Amino acid sequence: MDSIVTKKLIKKFKEKTAVNGIDLNIKQGELFALLGTNGAGKTTTIKMLSGLILPTSGEILIEGMDMKKDMFKIKEILNVSPQETAIAPNLTVKENLEFMAGVYQIKDKETKINELIKQFKLEDVLNKRAKTLSGGWQRKVSIAISLINNPKILFLDEPTLGLDVIARKELWEVLNSLKGKITIILITHYMEEAESLSDRIGIMVNGNIVDIGTAQELINKTKSKNFEDAFVSIATGGEL
Amino acid sequence: MRMINFAKRNFKELVRDPLSLIFEIALPLFLLFIFQQINIPGDTFKIENFTPGIIIFGFSFITLFTSTLVAKDRGSSLLIRLGTSPMKSRDYILGYILSLIPIIIIQDSLFFIVACLLGLNVSINIIFTILISILVSIIFIAFGILLGSLVSEKASGGVGSIIVQLVCFTSGMYFSKDLIGNVFAKICEFLPFESALNIIKGVLNNNYDIISLRNIIIFIAYTIIILILSIIVFKKKMVSDNK
Repeated sequence: MDSIVTKKLIKKFKEKTAVNGIDLNIKQGELFALLGTNGAGKTTTIKMLSGLILPTSGEILIEGMDMKKDMFKIKEILNVSPQETAIAPNLTVKENLEFMAGVYQIKDKETKINELIKQFKLEDVLNKRAKTLSGGWQRKVSIAISLINNPKILFLDEPTLGLDVIARKELWEVLNSLKGKITIILITHYMEEAESLSDRIGIMVNGNIVDIGTAQELINKTKSKNFEDAFVSIATGGEL
Repeated sequence: MRMINFAKRNFKELVRDPLSLIFEIALPLFLLFIFQQINIPGDTFKIENFTPGIIIFGFSFITLFTSTLVAKDRGSSLLIRLGTSPMKSRDYILGYILSLIPIIIIQDSLFFIVACLLGLNVSINIIFTILISILVSIIFIAFGILLGSLVSEKASGGVGSIIVQLVCFTSGMYFSKDLIGNVFAKICEFLPFESALNIIKGVLNNNYDIISLRNIIIFIAYTIIILILSIIVFKKKMVSDNK
């Protein structure tokens, strides 16, 4: 079954068309990376798919439910880690986890919180206020929070931006462990991240998805040496 | 309950900001104390009249810090995260309002303890005044949510301080509106702060004659309008901020 389906999805901001009629079919448990240059419409697409903004036209089906009719049911089963860290600054790390567990009305919240603390190795920063943490730690906490409701679908907008190499590798491990269990939509500017983590990659240019495939399929299609060259070739229409 | 969960978080954010505690509690307490040390002629500064003024003055800082909290939330990605959660508009608005109620009760209790030490008669009216002031505070919180929804975090301090000044000049806490002239007196009558002060003053002094029908109508009308406006604007800005 498809986890996410979009039909002719359009988002216009006054005269500007940010997303121009995209059709997507993302399978359950798939890790789908969305690549594109700045302003290509990736974040706007994620915002529509997560119910944050409404599309100008088109259809979104999440786990078979219509976003227009079942928005609050859909919001129960997804989560987002936004581009910037999304945490309450004056709350400790533990309080942030408890707060978001309350937002999603998690029944056995202590067990879930302890699981995330272990998974993201948060023991040392647990009682520190979020605003006192380094950017890398804040991001790690922000991503941990996005798993609090055991989402069926997880949207990650540039999750490893600002993380050091070790923290990045640790997050990749977490994402790999989630593969097949939940559907992940990943926006990233790191080619190696998309290549090594994703099942499929969609490339957006000017609000359109111009190509979709596995990293290898896209390399073969563009007859490129590596994935970065393949991306550049597709994103520029072969001009570079 | 999501709104209680959100209110708990807001309460923690507010009380962990030392500036908010200084302005919401310490400054009004200092003014209450200092004005009782100076022998100023007239009834305005008598403890039974000035304490209600201090309560309203404290509420104006509630507006300021509520607007800062809302503007800060809007400016951070936290509201993006919450916007994708199952939280509804009522959870946000009631969550903001409920988080301020304990601060209002703490404020009022401390103001009355100091006022009683300075000579205010201890009576059951103090309890009634605290209860009525919780209702009165809703308009100040709603003003804060409205301002915080409209301006940025940086601007919220400046705009909030306009409310503080408006409260000082138009509520009658420092001087009678009649001293300034007819036009100013009319403006005061049509703003909610004088009405709010009269309601609190009337309840504290068991003198309900000073609460006019106009005071009640103006106060209720403003509370309803500002509350509805704050809900509409907050909801609208939550969507437009995310474009």
